[in-house]
Amino acid sequence: MTLREKINSGKFIVCGEIGPPQSCDGDVIRRKAQYFKGIADAVNITDNQTAIPRLSSIASAKILLDEGVEPIIQMTCRDRNRLAIQSDLLGAAALGIRNVLCLTGDYQKLGDNPEAKGVFDLDSIQLIATVAQMNSGYLLSGREMKKAPEFLIGGAANPFAVPFEMRLIRLYIKVKAGVNFIQTQPVFDPELFIRWMEKVVEMGLHEKVAILAGVMPVKSVNTLLHMREDVPGVKINDVYIRRMEKAADPQAEGIKIAIEIIQTVKNIKGVRGVHIMPFMWESIMPTVVKEAGLCN
Amino acid sequence: MDLVTFDKPPISARERKLSRFMLFFEDLIKVPIFHCQHCGECLLSSTGFVCSQRCPKRLRNGPCGGTRDDGHCEVFPERKCIWYRIYRRSKLLGRIKLLYKINRIHNWNLEHTSAWLNVFRKRIEGLVLFVPKNLDIENINDTQRKN
Repeated sequence: MTLREKINSGKFIVCGEIGPPQSCDGDVIRRKAQYFKGIADAVNITDNQTAIPRLSSIASAKILLDEGVEPIIQMTCRDRNRLAIQSDLLGAAALGIRNVLCLTGDYQKLGDNPEAKGVFDLDSIQLIATVAQMNSGYLLSGREMKKAPEFLIGGAANPFAVPFEMRLIRLYIKVKAGVNFIQTQPVFDPELFIRWMEKVVEMGLHEKVAILAGVMPVKSVNTLLHMREDVPGVKINDVYIRRMEKAADPQAEGIKIAIEIIQTVKNIKGVRGVHIMPFMWESIMPTVVKEAGLCN
Repeated sequence: MDLVTFDKPPISARERKLSRFMLFFEDLIKVPIFHCQHCGECLLSSTGFVCSQRCPKRLRNGPCGGTRDDGHCEVFPERKCIWYRIYRRSKLLGRIKLLYKINRIHNWNLEHTSAWLNVFRKRIEGLVLFVPKNLDIENINDTQRKN
């Protein structure tokens, strides 16, 4: 079953995430793929996340595909103009990749090549609309393709950033542009997430788009502190920081918190799945999924 | 939905000269008041009269996910997120509905041309002065194109 069929069937979706290495070692991806095989419905491959060059998202996705794991490629607007985006998408479709997550991308100044020229020819919403147009058989120039790709279009949403209403407007126009599923930033503030989901249900968007709540298992309190200080747009409830500080075994506590958050978001109306981001800790994925009772 | 602003008709050499002439007068108003970035496809009226092109990523359709808790930019922490200001201003002026519009992909050929001339030549949409009370956010892109 492909991700599209699973979403249409109403199954509770579990997505994973793999960060490609900063080298040409494809075996890293092959090894990490084993943690997701039979566990996750699809796996995101980040595209030069935090503006640091890594093994390409499409190449990694092809490796995953060969390993029997369904990939979701990320496509950012930071590194490509509209020509490169269209050609990369056509190339991905030719390799058999069926899912694409459309993002604006982290600003290059935040990475390890701060002197780089950022492209930002399109933004994430225009990228979603571009992929939707390509799905309908037309390139941006208006030229008709002989064979149209069939991408399942994903987008990101950040329920925790200010202003709250603007985040709902963004989600609304992403849905209007043709997005099929939404992955949110990691939930570390369930109350705010519940409030956001209530508004989403009120606007009727949960029926048009599958919302997958982000969950991030953390290894130590330092990861949480780093995320709160250095990753803009992430909100972390102090309760979790205190719990991680006090815990005798931070790793076990991190897993416990992740499972608690999964159980909470699972019962929220409109949430159709979870997107688990085990940052630099892919080996924990099977434990989290099994203990949260999400295994089929 | 039209995604791209096409070059139709193509910009002639004569029009480029005229554009440069008009840009002088446009700049006198737009640069001091709005910090105009000369994108040539003016969005001011649909973004609460705050220029969205001052965003480091030059986003035309709302903020990225990195706005800090105090409403500051992720790239330049000392600056307010421009889309945060657009939201606040639109709320104040009752123009929130215009933020539901999907703006088209920027045509880089229009960079450093006169937006006023581009409106006159029907390359881009004109100013939205009043927001009708019954404006339907579902079809906002269609209604605007008719004008």
